[in-house]
Amino acid sequence: MHIPDAFIPIWQGAIYWIIALVFIALALRWARNEMNEEKLPLVAVLAAGIFALQSFNLPVSMGTSGHLVGGALAAILLGSPFAAVFILSLVLIVQAVLFGDGGITTLGTNIINMGVIGGFVGFYTFRGMMGMTKNMPISGFLAAWLACLIPALACAVEMFLAGTFPLAEGLVAMGIYHAIIGVIEGFVTVAAIYLIITARPDLVDAKVSTPTGA
Amino acid sequence: MIEELFQIERDAYKDSLIHRLDARVKIAIAFAAIIALVAVPYSTMIYTVGAVFFLFFCILWCCTRLSPVVYVKRVLAIVPLWGVIIFFQIFLKNKYYTDYHVVMSLPFSISIYAESIEFAFILLVKFVICISFIILLSSTTKMQDMLEGAARMGLPAEFALALGMMIRYLFVFGYMYRKINETLKTKCFDALDSHLPYRYRLRQLGYTIGTMFIRSYEQGERVYTSMLCRGYGRDSFLFVEKKPLKGCEWAVLSISLLFIVAVPLAVWLTTVRLF
Repeated sequence: MHIPDAFIPIWQGAIYWIIALVFIALALRWARNEMNEEKLPLVAVLAAGIFALQSFNLPVSMGTSGHLVGGALAAILLGSPFAAVFILSLVLIVQAVLFGDGGITTLGTNIINMGVIGGFVGFYTFRGMMGMTKNMPISGFLAAWLACLIPALACAVEMFLAGTFPLAEGLVAMGIYHAIIGVIEGFVTVAAIYLIITARPDLVDAKVSTPTGA
Repeated sequence: MIEELFQIERDAYKDSLIHRLDARVKIAIAFAAIIALVAVPYSTMIYTVGAVFFLFFCILWCCTRLSPVVYVKRVLAIVPLWGVIIFFQIFLKNKYYTDYHVVMSLPFSISIYAESIEFAFILLVKFVICISFIILLSSTTKMQDMLEGAARMGLPAEFALALGMMIRYLFVFGYMYRKINETLKTKCFDALDSHLPYRYRLRQLGYTIGTMFIRSYEQGERVYTSMLCRGYGRDSFLFVEKKPLKGCEWAVLSISLLFIVAVPLAVWLTTVRLF
C-alpha cells in the first residue's frame, strides 16, 4: 500500500501533498494541545509500534503475505483520528526516508491513504459500532478491517488516476488482498487493545472501554 | 525491516567525504534528484536522464567508501513487491499511449504489447534511481543528524520531537523484537508454518505484538523520565542550535542542484529540437 516514487505523476503527487498538508496541520494542532509530557512517550511508542507492526509480514494464502496498517489502532487508543494522522505521518516519513518504503513525492498520497482515511474510518467506525453494539472486540475488529480495506481501495483509485494500473483489476486485486489482511489486522488490533486495556488501562483513551464509547 | 535498521545505522556511522557532509545538503540533493526524476514525463527521455543521474549516484556512492554489495542488498530488499506491479505493466494498456502493437499473444486473451514493455521499463528506471538516492541518504546520515538537519530546514518542533523519540523506541523495539524472536524460535514457533493452527498463530502474534508494545513502553517511560531529569523535554527541539553551512558544503549543494535541474532540461530541449 506504500506507493513509491514514479508511480504517480508529479502534478498529482503535488495535489495529494497539499491535501495531506491540511490534515498534517490539523494533526499538529492536535499534538500541540494534546501531546503533553505524559502522552509524548505513548505517541512515540505507538509510532514505533506501528512501524514494527508494519514490518511483521503476516501469512495470507498461497505463499503470499501482507503487513498491517495500524491507523485504527492509533486513533482508537489515543481517542482522535488526528492522532492517527500524526502517528502515521511519523511512520511513513521514517519508512520513506530511511528504508525507501513509499516515496518522497508520494508521501502525501500515502499519508492520505493510511493516516487520514485509515484513521478517520477506523475511529468513526469504532465509535459508531461501540454506540450500537457496546462490544469492544466487534467494534475494534470492524474498525480495523475497514481501516485496512478502504485505504487499499483508495490506493487502487489513485493508481488508476495516475495511469499506472487499471481500475477494475486494481480494485479487485487490492480489495481481495486487503480484505484478507484486514481480517488479520482486525484480530491483532483487538488483541493489542485488549492486552493494553488489561495490562495498562491508564494508557488508553477512557472512551475505549466505556460501553457506549461516547 | 527492523533488522535492516541496525545495518543502516552501522553504515551511517562509517566515515567518508559524503558521511561528513551536513545532513541538510544530503537531504536537499536526494529530494531534488527524486523530484527531478519523477517530474520527467513517462517517455523514453528518462533513459538518458536516468543514465546521467545513475552515473551521478555512482560517483557519490564511490565517495562513501561503502561496498556496492550494501547498495545491491538494499535495492533487492525494496524492489521485489513493486517489481511485480512493474512486471504486470507489460500486459496492460494505459493512457500514456494511443496505439498498441502486440508482441506476443497468450491464452485467455492476454497480450504483451511493445508500448507496455516500454512503459514498464520507464517505470523501473525511475523507481530504481529514486530508491538509489534514498539509499545513499540513509546509508550516509545518522538518524539523529538527519533529524537535526530536518529541524533546521523547518520541520515542525512537534514532529522533530516525536520523531526523535520514535527513533529511540525503534531501537528498543528492535532489541525487544530480537529477544522475542529468539524465544519464539527456541519454542519452534513459526508464524508461516501452515502445520500450526491458524488461530493459534494469530493469537501468538497478538500476544507478541502486545507484549512488545507494553515492555517497550515501560522501558521507554523510564528512559523518558531520566531524560526529563537531564533537561530534555517537550520543548527541546524548539531550541535546535543554528549551524550555518560551510563554504565547501554550499559549493557541493549549489553544483549538485544546478546539475539536477540542468540535466533533464538539457535532455528535454534536445528532444524537442530533434522533433
